[in-house]
Amino acid sequence: MKKQIVLLAVAALQAAAYGQTKVNSYTFGAMEARWLGPGTMSGRITAIEGVNKDSKTLYVGSAGGGVWKTTNAGASFKPIFDKYCMSIGCIAIDQSHPETVFVGTGESNMRNSVSVGDGIYMTTDAGDNWVKVGLDSTEHISKIIIDPKNPQNVYAAAPGPLWSNSKHRGLYKSTDGGQTWNKIFYINEKTGCADVAVDPEHPDVIYATTWEFRRFPYAFNSGGKGSGMWKSADGGKTWRELKDGLPPKPFGRIALTLAPSAPQNMIAIVESKETGLYISADGGEHWKSQSATVNVVSRPFYFSCLVIDPKDPKRVYRPGFGFSYSDDGGYSFADASYEGGWVHSDHHALWINPNYTNQMYLGTDGGVYYSLDRGATWMFVYNLPVGQFYHVACDNNTPYRMYGGLQDNGSWVAPSAAPGGVNNSNWQNMYGGDGFWTVPDLTDKNIAYAEAQGGNMGRVDLTTYKSVDITPQKGSGEEKLRWNWNTPIVTGQSNNHHLYTAAQYLYKTTDQGRSWARISPDLSTNDKKKQEQEASGGLSEDNTSAENHCTIFTLAESPLNDNMIWAGTDDGNLQLTTDGGKNWTNTAKNYVAAGIPAQTWVSSIEPSRFDKNTVYATFDNHMYGDMKTFLAKSTDAGKTWKMLSSPEFTGFAHKIKEDLVNKNLLFLGTERGLFATIDGGESWFRMKNHIPDYAIVRDIQIQPQTNDLVLATHGRGIMVVNDISPIRSLTPEIAGKDVVLFENKPMPVTTGRFGGGGSPVSGGWWGGNPDDIEPISYYLKERASQDVKVEIYDAAGKLVQQVPGTKRKGINKVYWNLRWTPPKTATGGSKLDYGSFIAPQVLPGTYMVKLKVGEKEYTNQLKMVHNTDNKLFTEDDRKEQYKAGMDLYHMHEQLYTLVDKINADQKMIKTNLDSVNKPQSKKILNEYNTKLETLRGTLLATKHASMFADEKKLREEITEVYSSVCSQECRPTNLQTGRIANLNEELKQSSVAYEKINTEYKTKAAQAVKEGKPRPAASGAVHSN
Amino acid sequence: MRTIRYSVLAMALAFTTFIAAKAQTADEVIQKHITAIGGADNWKKIKSVKMQGTANAGGMEMPLSIAILDKKGMKVEYTINGMTGYSILTNKAGWNFNPFQGAKKAEALTDEMVKEGQTGLDIAGPLVDYKAKGNTVAFLGKDDVEGTECYKLKVTHPTGKSETIFIDAATYYHIRSVEKIKADGKEMEQISTFGNYKKLPEGIMWPMSIDMGGGGPMDVKSVDINKGVDEAMFVPKG
Repeated sequence: MKKQIVLLAVAALQAAAYGQTKVNSYTFGAMEARWLGPGTMSGRITAIEGVNKDSKTLYVGSAGGGVWKTTNAGASFKPIFDKYCMSIGCIAIDQSHPETVFVGTGESNMRNSVSVGDGIYMTTDAGDNWVKVGLDSTEHISKIIIDPKNPQNVYAAAPGPLWSNSKHRGLYKSTDGGQTWNKIFYINEKTGCADVAVDPEHPDVIYATTWEFRRFPYAFNSGGKGSGMWKSADGGKTWRELKDGLPPKPFGRIALTLAPSAPQNMIAIVESKETGLYISADGGEHWKSQSATVNVVSRPFYFSCLVIDPKDPKRVYRPGFGFSYSDDGGYSFADASYEGGWVHSDHHALWINPNYTNQMYLGTDGGVYYSLDRGATWMFVYNLPVGQFYHVACDNNTPYRMYGGLQDNGSWVAPSAAPGGVNNSNWQNMYGGDGFWTVPDLTDKNIAYAEAQGGNMGRVDLTTYKSVDITPQKGSGEEKLRWNWNTPIVTGQSNNHHLYTAAQYLYKTTDQGRSWARISPDLSTNDKKKQEQEASGGLSEDNTSAENHCTIFTLAESPLNDNMIWAGTDDGNLQLTTDGGKNWTNTAKNYVAAGIPAQTWVSSIEPSRFDKNTVYATFDNHMYGDMKTFLAKSTDAGKTWKMLSSPEFTGFAHKIKEDLVNKNLLFLGTERGLFATIDGGESWFRMKNHIPDYAIVRDIQIQPQTNDLVLATHGRGIMVVNDISPIRSLTPEIAGKDVVLFENKPMPVTTGRFGGGGSPVSGGWWGGNPDDIEPISYYLKERASQDVKVEIYDAAGKLVQQVPGTKRKGINKVYWNLRWTPPKTATGGSKLDYGSFIAPQVLPGTYMVKLKVGEKEYTNQLKMVHNTDNKLFTEDDRKEQYKAGMDLYHMHEQLYTLVDKINADQKMIKTNLDSVNKPQSKKILNEYNTKLETLRGTLLATKHASMFADEKKLREEITEVYSSVCSQECRPTNLQTGRIANLNEELKQSSVAYEKINTEYKTKAAQAVKEGKPRPAASGAVHSN
Repeated sequence: MRTIRYSVLAMALAFTTFIAAKAQTADEVIQKHITAIGGADNWKKIKSVKMQGTANAGGMEMPLSIAILDKKGMKVEYTINGMTGYSILTNKAGWNFNPFQGAKKAEALTDEMVKEGQTGLDIAGPLVDYKAKGNTVAFLGKDDVEGTECYKLKVTHPTGKSETIFIDAATYYHIRSVEKIKADGKEMEQISTFGNYKKLPEGIMWPMSIDMGGGGPMDVKSVDINKGVDEAMFVPKG
């Protein structure tokens, strides 16, 4: 019994210890993700609002990348909403107190891939801090309007949930400045509020449009009895419908706006059987139909932006498929010019500077543009990396390339590292349309595969970016091929020569798509009720292949067996073949038995690389209104499944990824965050290492050579966490220790992978490079309350360099530049000598790392090796370089000592000059000083201070060679070696000259001082140094 | 001034619910913080401070000193390769002297920079006697600094300048500040991180590691309190 109690106590203590040191979001916080962009192709912009007073502070809301703010009219942007929902519906600024800003989350451009919001947020300090103030369940918010005369009154139009019936929709109002909200106008569970406008002169007059709409996984409907146009004259208490002059109902979505300078003038685009443009000159009481261009009335469910100039009531802007503007109140429209380059189509937001209405900012499906000529021509903003990737893939090049497809923005490829860091110019478009899967051929580095919507896929020659169509074709007797919007193209993980794609059938090629074999029957449910896409859209037909259904959505070849292939469909089937496609087994019932809803989209499958019968899968049920995170694991090839869940999880699941090395390390990407587990799925934590808390993570890859974690985010471009080895090695045992200094692999001595590259250009996006030099890493259980230092010692125990340590809780990374401590260089010159910042790199060999945390020390051996990547720099070259570098290093230190002596002598002379009055004594001291100064003037720059005036003396000459020799990977040239010898000789001669001066003057000066003083000097001593 | 007052008011309004529920907590946090760092009385006795230390750049140690005469002036001096540069800020003016690229005399700070910098002259910091100083403090709950749980306080000075202060929830030490500096048509963010707190003979806890971003942290080697900082040092020379 006693023993049991002891055991229990020990167990409790252990549990407590682990409990306290649980690995969490912050453990790996130092492993900050790089944001690779691109900025050259951005993503869908849903809202732009500017501060009227200063015209240069703007807030930009994106479909999946949060809110970005500029305080300089767009020269730079910062994300200011990274702890919250990434999908932004609208933004509103209280222009009378512009530090107050509202953000409505959940965009309302209700396309198939639209993300979901979680309410209204408010800041009163211009975006530093946010508080959620309501409407948590509306999922989509299209507009917020603040009463300009009384900012306590705020209106929010909420179309509401897209995928389900809901009472959480309609027009909401706050009368306390946004603190609390009441629904003031509601039609029914299918109808929300799409638009709202407030008469700025009579702010009790409110206009609203209601919208009945609904999406299903396989169809979309816009329009119904609930849609209408409404007016209230009492701040929203009572409403009456506006009909006069409008077309016959039913309506779909109505975009409505009024002229701020003459609010009786209104304009509306009314979706109906014949969608049209209508104007009113009497506050909406009577409407008149206008002729309108195709651009003005097209795709009303998606293009709902309509703006009238703040000063000119006749100037109307219609950002839609293209950009149209009218000078006659909407009677006729002209289109923007492409002079200067293409402007991305699909427009959703426009802000006009009220102080200078020629200046405006436009939000499109491809980013932000600005115009200085009232919208006639446009310039692109290159520094907003809010692209919406669906997938990412990596090749095995050095550096590896990243491939991915962007919503509405084609397929792209970029290197993961580049001279100067990855920037916009490194990104190359390689395929058009909407981009999805873009995969490299791992057997042929000049080939990749890409696709556009509707399953149109090509083989792309990466040397020219020419492509050929390789889309599998319908065979005799086969049903029409059903390609998912996001059709899978996947290479074999076991056999890289295999390439797969799928409609309702699975296809395989082993010759780069020159010939395909169909290797499955229809793997979907083939439910005909879900295949009526041609009738999709509602009032406006809209069938862009986005609603195609009963298709294969995801597939994977086992890394351990190339005959074992998994296929998951958008209608809930999860099929397995173990004989390369001859026979298929549907395991759908088995996962349903584990508690996952039937007919769910199977969003990803991850067959394990450690056990062929182990497989993970994610399931996405959001198109049935169910936003839960579904993740399951099977260890018997799909016969039985176990749900993996966590209170940390948020958002429906897109992707599960197993680590390549540590089978207990898994990553999960969802619509609302990236999660990881280091215990095989028992416990999970949210990854926050420079990754937005609720990032929409649609795909995850691990690059095998670099161990980089590569993320496809749907709104923040590609993100890369460089080298996840520390996550792999952090076991619960290590996490329980106070301090752990990790061992480094043998570290190549290098100046980095690249030279050149210049500086990042202004106005672009820069994603940086991975670490050139491997960091020294350590783990701290708690933030260090004491000093932290990292010291490097050579084999003889000599201190090479001391580096300040970081103190953060969790993993810390410290960068030693692989060099000695820089030399002391001669002081007292007229300009800075940068030789004092430079040190030779260490030679390969065995070193010691010492981590000091307060009084405690932790040591590891560190093996430095010659970097064999640079074939032009041999180990023998390195030795010669090191010798030359150290010679110069010592010369600097010798010169320092020499100049230090001269400085001390001159200081002494100056002191004594002040105290002697005998002219002869003064003369001798002055002569002594002049001789020293003449010598000093040959040793270092003493005359010119300007950085634009060269003055090269011995110190600068040494630095010139020193800097060249030490900062490059090269054997010193013969002339460099020769110059070193010459400079060394000069240094020796200078020492001789100094000794000569001292020999001549030291005694003489001492005597002069002695004799020159009015009274005998107290000490009489003259110290020459 | 009206806008400034409004922003304070707006802050108060927006966080009404927070403040109502946690007003006590905000004051409690401040009180515990002040107790943890040695008590308001000890801090209020400080009229001047002089810190000597070093910063490390690629192994090169750069001597650094900071002298502050409470509410009157501050001078930061740093020496590289035998050359000394400095920044001076007084309650009326300020200068930078950067001889490293050939400047021969100190260059004046703009009026707006001088105004924005004034909060740095308050040795005790914005939380000691915050009400008397006219500072408004909003308690913004808990947040983390590099994984360490902190209380987050937003201080708005009477000038309208704001800074966010992170107080370590375990030790109640001030471990980070994020200041918004708006001057000369630009907006900048200054992040300062404090650590390695040591108790001084005056009974106060002082951060011996101060990281203002950029060139690595300053290791404070010595701190002299009330040993005399001569106002004459705040006159630029050279």
